[in-house]
Amino acid sequence: MTLKVLDPRLSAEGEAASLAAPLATLDGAVVGLLDNAKIGTARFYDHLEEILRVRYRVREVIRRRKPDSSRPAPADQLGELSAADAIVSGIGD
Amino acid sequence: MTDTLRSPQHEVADAFEANELFQRNGWTDGLPIVPPTEPLVRSFLEAAGLAASDAVGVEPVRRRRITAEKVAIAAVMAGCRPEYLPVVVASVQAMCEPEFGLHGVTASTGGSAPLVVVNGPVRLALGMNATHNVLGNGSRPNATIGRALRLLIVNVLGGIPGQLDRSTLGHPGKFTLCVAEDEEDSAWLPLAAERGIAPGASAVTVLAVESPHQVMNEWTHDPAELAETYAAAIRANMLTYSIWAGNYAVVVPKQHRQIFAEGGWSKRDLRERVHARARVTRREWRSVGKGAVAPRKDEDGVYTALRSPDDLLVIAAGGPAGGFGAVLPPWYGKKSLAVTKGIRP
Repeated sequence: MTLKVLDPRLSAEGEAASLAAPLATLDGAVVGLLDNAKIGTARFYDHLEEILRVRYRVREVIRRRKPDSSRPAPADQLGELSAADAIVSGIGD
Repeated sequence: MTDTLRSPQHEVADAFEANELFQRNGWTDGLPIVPPTEPLVRSFLEAAGLAASDAVGVEPVRRRRITAEKVAIAAVMAGCRPEYLPVVVASVQAMCEPEFGLHGVTASTGGSAPLVVVNGPVRLALGMNATHNVLGNGSRPNATIGRALRLLIVNVLGGIPGQLDRSTLGHPGKFTLCVAEDEEDSAWLPLAAERGIAPGASAVTVLAVESPHQVMNEWTHDPAELAETYAAAIRANMLTYSIWAGNYAVVVPKQHRQIFAEGGWSKRDLRERVHARARVTRREWRSVGKGAVAPRKDEDGVYTALRSPDDLLVIAAGGPAGGFGAVLPPWYGKKSLAVTKGIRP
């Protein structure tokens, strides 16, 4: 006789947020960079922004910095970032 | 009361193989689990009067909706009995309040653990431990209620070490850290009552803490001297760990409580003394190898461990003999604050 056990994970139910489909190209795209306010993020994003602009020819980069690394981004920042075609969101260190 | 369970099921040969599956997939804390079968999970939900799809809470940053079903699964896995589930549920609700900062405390390199303090009649009904070895092993409800929270963080919030949980060290309290307050053998007001819960009601208070640090003083009958021992441990933490003010917790054993009682000291008196004494200047950072950051601001500026006396959680617990107390420092100042929630009867 076998045993049936329940999956303990949330993602197994498909409830977790899923990623949007990737863009076909970054050429001419608007990219949002959400800084999670950790010490190294700004410098990392400076570098990333340069790569996005020079190598991938993105049209515009929208950068916003959260007021606190451990809290959600404020609604007004999310509103501004919603103009982007794709967003890079920093979590962790 | 329970509706359809939504979690996928996995078929295994027996309980041993169920544990092997969970270990292999990283769905546990490294210790063995009780296999969460549908009948068990349903019996837990029924004991708590919850439907499987009920939302217990939503983690505010990543917006993970935590259902009663997943909380019950974690409680079964942790080794809880069904009647423990309301305590686990109240703890999850407390952790989902924005001021707890659940995402930060889960993900941080600082590696904290949720401390759960249980007050009220539920402690006695479940047979929780508030005395010998209260911060250690030995009590099933203490051990498994705390563990259920960790298993939930791992499986529902993705707090997997090396993935979203970026703890550099972590500490043993990340397996479990749950205590009952010794209300019967204390002249003090229970913690929950101090924090607005009606007398006779059961409640949990949850705080993200670093590892407990034991203090010892068996050589005084002066409450002020005893308070100084706790304050000194907090000052050391401010210098060697984090200078930022927030909720500290202290666990005060019977032997120390007797001295405070003889001196007529309430919890409030102890909080006020610790607030007055647990403070340092930036200059003192020079004495602990942090000279590089001391001059970034005024070195004579005074930093307090507590924003006000109310920031100190005083918990009456521990064995009847021994002058051993503990200081439990906050994860990171006021970025995560203590939250108290009533337990649904």
